[in-house]
Amino acid sequence: MKIFELENISMAAGFLLLMVGIWGIISQRNIIKMIISFSIVDTSIHLLLVSIGYIRNRTAPIIGEGVTKTDAATQITDPVPQALVLTAIVIGVGITALLLTYSLKLYRHNRSLEINHFNSLKW
Amino acid sequence: MKILRNSALLLIVGFMAWMMIHLYGQYESRDALNPVAEYYAVNGPEETGAANLVTSIVVTYRGLDTLGEVTILFLTAAIIGLLLRTEKGSRKKSVRESSEFLSTASGILIPVITLIGIYIFMNGHLTPGGGFQGGAVLASSFILVLLAISNKRIGHRLLDYTEAISGISFILLGILGILLAGGFLDNRILPLGNFGTLFSAGAIPVIYSLIGLKVGAELSNVILELNQIQGEEEEL
Amino acid sequence: MVNPIYIIAVLLGTAFLLGLFRKKGFEFGMALGMLAIAFAAVISVHWFIHLYSGTEGGLNIYTAGSKPPFSINLFMGVEESFFMSAINILGLLGFIYLFRAFREQGLKSSVLFLVLIMGMNVLIMSRDIFNLFVFLEIVSIALAGLIYLKRGKESAAAGFKYLIAIGVISAMLLIGISFFYLFAGTLNIDDYLQSNTLPVKGISVAIFLMLIAILLELKPFPANGWALDVYEAAHPGISAMISSGTATASIFLLYKLLPLSSLDWLPYLTVIGAVTFVGSNLLGIVQKNSNRLLGYSSIGQIGLMIAIIGLAPRLGDHFNFIFVSIFISHFLAKAGLFWISGIIMRSNIREWSVLRRNRLSLFMFGLFILMLIGFPPFPSFYGKWQLVMDLAQHKSFVWIAVILAGSFIEGIYLFRWFGYAMKEQDDEEKKIIFQWEKLIPPIVFSVLALGASYYTNNLSLLGPTLNLIPIYFILALFVLDFLPAFVKNSLVIAGMIIYSVLLYPSIADDTLRLIFGGIFMVGGVLTLFAGYSEKGKREGFFPFAVMMYAGLIGLIQAENLFQFFFSWEIMTLGSYILIIRGKKSMKHALNYMLFSLGGAYLIFIGFALSHIGQVTFDLQTLSSTILPGWTYTLIAIGFLTKTAAIGLHIWLPGAHAEAESDVSPMVSGILLKAGVFGLVLLFLLMGAEQAEQKNLLYILGWLGAITALGGNLMAVFQEDAKRLLAYSSVGNLGYILFALAFVTHVGWMTALTYSVNHFLFKTLLFLAIGGVVMRVKTHNMYEMGGLIKQMPLSFIAVLIGIITLAGIPPLAGYGGKWLFYNAVLSKGWYFQGMFIFFAGTIAFLYCFKLIYSVFLGQPKDKFRQVKEAPVWYLIPQIILIIGIMVFSARPDLLLKPVGTMLSQSNYFPTDPLNWENVTASTDLGYWSGYKIMLVIGVMFIILLSWLLLMSRKAQKIKQFNIVYAGERPFKPETTHFSHNMFSHFYKALGFLSIPVVSAFWNGLNSVTHSMAENTRKIYSGNGQTYIVHIMLYIIIIYMLMF
Repeated sequence: MKIFELENISMAAGFLLLMVGIWGIISQRNIIKMIISFSIVDTSIHLLLVSIGYIRNRTAPIIGEGVTKTDAATQITDPVPQALVLTAIVIGVGITALLLTYSLKLYRHNRSLEINHFNSLKW
Repeated sequence: MKILRNSALLLIVGFMAWMMIHLYGQYESRDALNPVAEYYAVNGPEETGAANLVTSIVVTYRGLDTLGEVTILFLTAAIIGLLLRTEKGSRKKSVRESSEFLSTASGILIPVITLIGIYIFMNGHLTPGGGFQGGAVLASSFILVLLAISNKRIGHRLLDYTEAISGISFILLGILGILLAGGFLDNRILPLGNFGTLFSAGAIPVIYSLIGLKVGAELSNVILELNQIQGEEEEL
Repeated sequence: MVNPIYIIAVLLGTAFLLGLFRKKGFEFGMALGMLAIAFAAVISVHWFIHLYSGTEGGLNIYTAGSKPPFSINLFMGVEESFFMSAINILGLLGFIYLFRAFREQGLKSSVLFLVLIMGMNVLIMSRDIFNLFVFLEIVSIALAGLIYLKRGKESAAAGFKYLIAIGVISAMLLIGISFFYLFAGTLNIDDYLQSNTLPVKGISVAIFLMLIAILLELKPFPANGWALDVYEAAHPGISAMISSGTATASIFLLYKLLPLSSLDWLPYLTVIGAVTFVGSNLLGIVQKNSNRLLGYSSIGQIGLMIAIIGLAPRLGDHFNFIFVSIFISHFLAKAGLFWISGIIMRSNIREWSVLRRNRLSLFMFGLFILMLIGFPPFPSFYGKWQLVMDLAQHKSFVWIAVILAGSFIEGIYLFRWFGYAMKEQDDEEKKIIFQWEKLIPPIVFSVLALGASYYTNNLSLLGPTLNLIPIYFILALFVLDFLPAFVKNSLVIAGMIIYSVLLYPSIADDTLRLIFGGIFMVGGVLTLFAGYSEKGKREGFFPFAVMMYAGLIGLIQAENLFQFFFSWEIMTLGSYILIIRGKKSMKHALNYMLFSLGGAYLIFIGFALSHIGQVTFDLQTLSSTILPGWTYTLIAIGFLTKTAAIGLHIWLPGAHAEAESDVSPMVSGILLKAGVFGLVLLFLLMGAEQAEQKNLLYILGWLGAITALGGNLMAVFQEDAKRLLAYSSVGNLGYILFALAFVTHVGWMTALTYSVNHFLFKTLLFLAIGGVVMRVKTHNMYEMGGLIKQMPLSFIAVLIGIITLAGIPPLAGYGGKWLFYNAVLSKGWYFQGMFIFFAGTIAFLYCFKLIYSVFLGQPKDKFRQVKEAPVWYLIPQIILIIGIMVFSARPDLLLKPVGTMLSQSNYFPTDPLNWENVTASTDLGYWSGYKIMLVIGVMFIILLSWLLLMSRKAQKIKQFNIVYAGERPFKPETTHFSHNMFSHFYKALGFLSIPVVSAFWNGLNSVTHSMAENTRKIYSGNGQTYIVHIMLYIIIIYMLMF
């Protein structure tokens, strides 16, 4: 069954999380909740990436026990998404830190964390 | 108004779900590596000498990405510094003595955590882990330092030096790659050594250690900046 | 050649190094940063020169010692090196510009800037999709930090909105990239393009996500609220980087990734770009905040570039030329304007009047504005020309209309803004410092703009044939602007005379061009004489006066459509600036410019239509156009805008009346003839049959008749002497138009005679009245009176002028009338002829009012001491009077050659005038100029003697003898005899002068404004709403594409 395999489940979960995150970003007025939603979106994408790289019955792409140098191509999962996910995580951390700092700044200026209170610039 | 908003919400989420189902519908479980990944699996160990293929990709094949990643953390730290800089310059600090328990435990834990961090990034080419992970562990020990020794001045300076020197060394190693080997960030400027040992994989362990130090310093810097606003008079 | 990867290494290394510096080492750190960017700039420019001049395709740069797709590779081609050079030069100047801001905010902020530049360089070079994502994030994050360089509440809010918008966009991008990898098995652009795998549906969704994310980075309307807030809140130095820098990188990114998609994105890009261009500009017209306005304009221009990418297949080989010329104009102008905004620190566009305190920055402001709109000689002008011509070849008329509509709307707010800078009150209280380091970047960009214009001219398909001498002369005058006015005036007059002498041989055989050239050049020199009465430097007058005359002469010299249009625009520009110099002419100059711009675009479209299927732009192509009706109509309406035909006339009275005393004759007596010349040329080239078939001539005739009547009627009810003359010009040009519409020998002769007449008498009248106005300091006729004693020469001039105008024998105007009625009768347009006849009668009324209320009647107390008009005003008047006399006595001097020309043109061989010595005759009668003069002269003398004889016993009444006065005056002016002089006529005919036309244009104006006002409410300021916009935008585009 297609949907009950690990990669399918994790990918579906990734999509589900993505929906949750997007819903959070556009429905939550509180900017901290929005930032959390962003983190959820990030996580969902990481999950998707990992699912993309996954190949059933294979192991981590590290040569050593269980993986021989010569037969690595048939024994390991795709290493590229793992490298990408590493980068994506770091970028996500950076953006989250910035969002939090900005929200701190906004709170100090406006004494509020509601996104619709920061609309002095418009039109 | 609310109905409009909610229906827009529903529309967006519904549509995104529909688009994702499109993507998901096209997905089929993979049973083989694609040519690029296969190249890494077959030639990676030979070309880079790293047992951990992810590391060989992160540090060498996609080294430019990694340079970018480091830069992003660097930027983040700098921006947070810029944003949280107070105009008055002097920061008031409410200093609370850390508890006996915390400071004692920290004394024991900090060296251990630091060591683990260093181990993680130095063995990045052999085992799961690497510069980012190690750096993050280092930064966690720094949190402990902040918590435990809150009355001492923590050297921004030391962090800055670590950050700058490791960053510049990273770039210099990259340039050495152009001069001595096949291109920017080529790890074969050092001998590949015995496969699977600590001193192998050319410059990868060196670069990863630099990354580890830099990431550690950058994350610590972020934490330090965020820590310094604690208890500060709020500017209005 | 230095490996471009060193650009990355050096910029990033310097950034890391600067992290070490503390306050003490600030200057040293800045110097290092500047060196690093300069290094990047030098290398990229070097590469550009090398690749552009050489045959080499470019350099592939491999990293990590492996070949792509296994490692990341960069590519340095000619396009890459061009955009990198642009970005690095911008970066270097931007870095200098932000010197003070960096010092305030600490060296760390300059580190962000270095990283930003580095990121953009990689964005341009990298060929790996994920790598592009990483560096896009670097650029975004660096900007997110730099937005807060100008600290404060607004910046914080804008920065946050920016971050969440970018967050959503990059999430889409990353999902796209992930699935791209899944389906394509590679991350390398070239690898994917070379592998000929059939695309599955999933990959097209993935590529869609990637492209839509890049597109959203380019801020398409209306999913761009976040960007507008950033433009408004950020430091102008940063806004300049966003508008010119990151937009450049992003648009190149789009261009680079576009080939990945198997779907045809181009039509969508065209629509997206065009909607953005028009929509964003439309919202700009109600914007008051200068930085936000620049934001709207910037987004609009990027939209235009996106549309051009979308239209690429229709542009063929010309794509590069068009794109680069539009790009470079936006790039230089937008950064320059943002920089200027940061120098003067005024957020309300009305307060930009402070620019007048610094001539250099005012000059640069004007230069950048004109460059944005696409006036010659700037690159965007060439780009738009080529774009419209190529689109016409593919019959993409909708896109032509949309692009020109967008440009027009952009013109509305940019010229309004320019008007504020030129004319709005300047609050002297508020001090302003023009910091030198902030002036350097816009100065460099101005110089680059001029250089780019020169190169575009050389590169364009037609450019090198342009006569650049006048342009150099204009530039020299800008440089010499510090000289006193009389020196510059002499220079200009000498220049014009020399140029006329040089020009003469080339047009000596062409009577038509000789006549109009004569009007332009002789008129130019004469009106410039009046300028000698100006004291001081008269800054900013002479370059534009020359610009106007250069444009006029260019029309005469033009050998092809391009040169004609180029000159047309130059002329419009020069005259606009001359007009706006008047004290109260801010609004009127804007009206003038907008009507001219609209008219010019119609001419432009007409030219483009005539170019369909043609190879050259030769003027003769008009004769073989495949869409004669459209071509004819559009071009004619364009010229009618200039001649102020009724319906398109509302700009004229204000513009002519409020201009300076010596500018009014230039724009009225001389400039209006440009439209006439255009019409004549159009008819000559296109042939009358086409127009006759479509009833165009008939319509034109009616239009002329109504214009003549309406213009004269409105002139009657004016209290302002110059306004009266201005309306009278509307009427006079109606005559010319009517006569032209006959397309018969005599009709045309009438039109040409009238053109010369109108030049002579209207220049004379405006000079004379201008001289009076200079002395009495008012335009209102009811405040004048009895000036005949103080200003006898002006009186004579006005008298001669109105006699000519009204067509009273014996002067030239009568000859015109004689011809006119001959033509009417032979054509058989009796009904229209009645209109004209009626209009002629009305002309008597205002002529009488003019001379009577200004010079006759009781003198005002306060004007007892006024002197005769300045001698420099009188000299040209005397020359003009002599001209009128000569022409009245010997009309054959002009009419004979005209007749010969018309007969030779294979156009009107029939029914010429018959000449016997100096007597002309038609089937209907004969006319001899000097005999009439003789007869009338004798009659005049007899009548005068009779009058003198009879009035010996008349009693002289003292001025203050009010024995006959019976009413108590409510308002002082109502007691003046000339106030409301023709109120009884108004009761009868006033309904005809109700300003329905003005009401129509005002209505159009307010509808546009309220539409913009309501539309921009979508930018609610709520960051979450902006996210919703982005998501909905993705949905709509997805629905359209799949």
